[in-house]
Amino acid sequence: MHEFSIAEALAAQVQHYARPGARVREVEIVVGALRGLEPEALQMSWQAVTMETPLEGSVLAIEQRPWSIACPDCGRTWTSPVPFVACECGNETPDPHGTDELDLVAITIDDEPATEPPPGASPSAGGGAVAGAVTD
Amino acid sequence: MAESDEPNRTVRIPILERVLEANDDIAAANRGELARRGIFAIDLIGAPGSGKTELLEATLRMIQGRHRPAVLVGDLATRRDGDRLARWCDRVVQISTGEGCHLEAGQIRTAMGEVDLDGVDLLFIENVGNLICPVGFDLGQAAKVGLFSLTEGDDKAAKHPYLVTAADLVLLNKVDLAPYVTFDRAGFEADIRLLNPAVPMLDVSARTGEGLDRWLDWLDRGAERAAARR
Repeated sequence: MHEFSIAEALAAQVQHYARPGARVREVEIVVGALRGLEPEALQMSWQAVTMETPLEGSVLAIEQRPWSIACPDCGRTWTSPVPFVACECGNETPDPHGTDELDLVAITIDDEPATEPPPGASPSAGGGAVAGAVTD
Repeated sequence: MAESDEPNRTVRIPILERVLEANDDIAAANRGELARRGIFAIDLIGAPGSGKTELLEATLRMIQGRHRPAVLVGDLATRRDGDRLARWCDRVVQISTGEGCHLEAGQIRTAMGEVDLDGVDLLFIENVGNLICPVGFDLGQAAKVGLFSLTEGDDKAAKHPYLVTAADLVLLNKVDLAPYVTFDRAGFEADIRLLNPAVPMLDVSARTGEGLDRWLDWLDRGAERAAARR
């Protein structure tokens, strides 16, 4: 269940980019085939990690990049969800190539008009539930 | 403000950043310190029961007087692996991961601070027994070693392509059991060659010592390279 660690890291990262108080609607990530990520496990982890945080209810959109398969015998290339597949030309072992990116691509937020800051608000106060969030 | 009565606007903010960037940054710092010290660090990844600890026990015994090793060992809940290894090496740090299925770079940074690395030339990191989760977390190692064994079945490389593609060395352990288990050695190697054509592969038995000379040669060369780049 490395999906849970990934969800935790992702939540900290999103909190860093989302202004305190902004409602995060969607978080988009891309995942290379090599990562072997289970989308359902990551969705469950995302729900658990974001529960009772400002990210609760946000949609996690996962784009999984497939394997690229290249057949050295006939030159055909195509994509596949699994690495070991036969080619139409009869070659049982075309070359699989996967990538291992795991990137936060974008977040979609409700950009609320500027309102008066909550009483006692300071740059470090509020929304600070995520340990390890970096500020620069 | 004039805009204050308008409804919220929904805005998509492009970012493009690695999700594990915080881990990768710590891993890079670990790698820098290990390079400065001339230490060859390996991340040993294998399934539960593949023989990671047994391999390290045999290795530590055989390199006595030849190398100065340190070991960081990740274990879910017990100290058993650390206790076994401490019989052969006085620089062993046990990292209890609790529920965690893999080691992360921050745990390695902390553990590196708990052991005297002066004069050390080899650092073994025994990851948590798991063929999937540890692979994506850079620790700062110089090499990843994927450990498979005959008893796991010959399909494990094909089912764990990330480990195979990320590995700098593949070890096949428990080859002494070949007469007793069904294992398609050629098919296992063919799967690995499709995913990682150039990776060196060694057949070993941590129990009998078979093939360990070539594993030690590989370690010697890594330690020499690390020392030369110091």
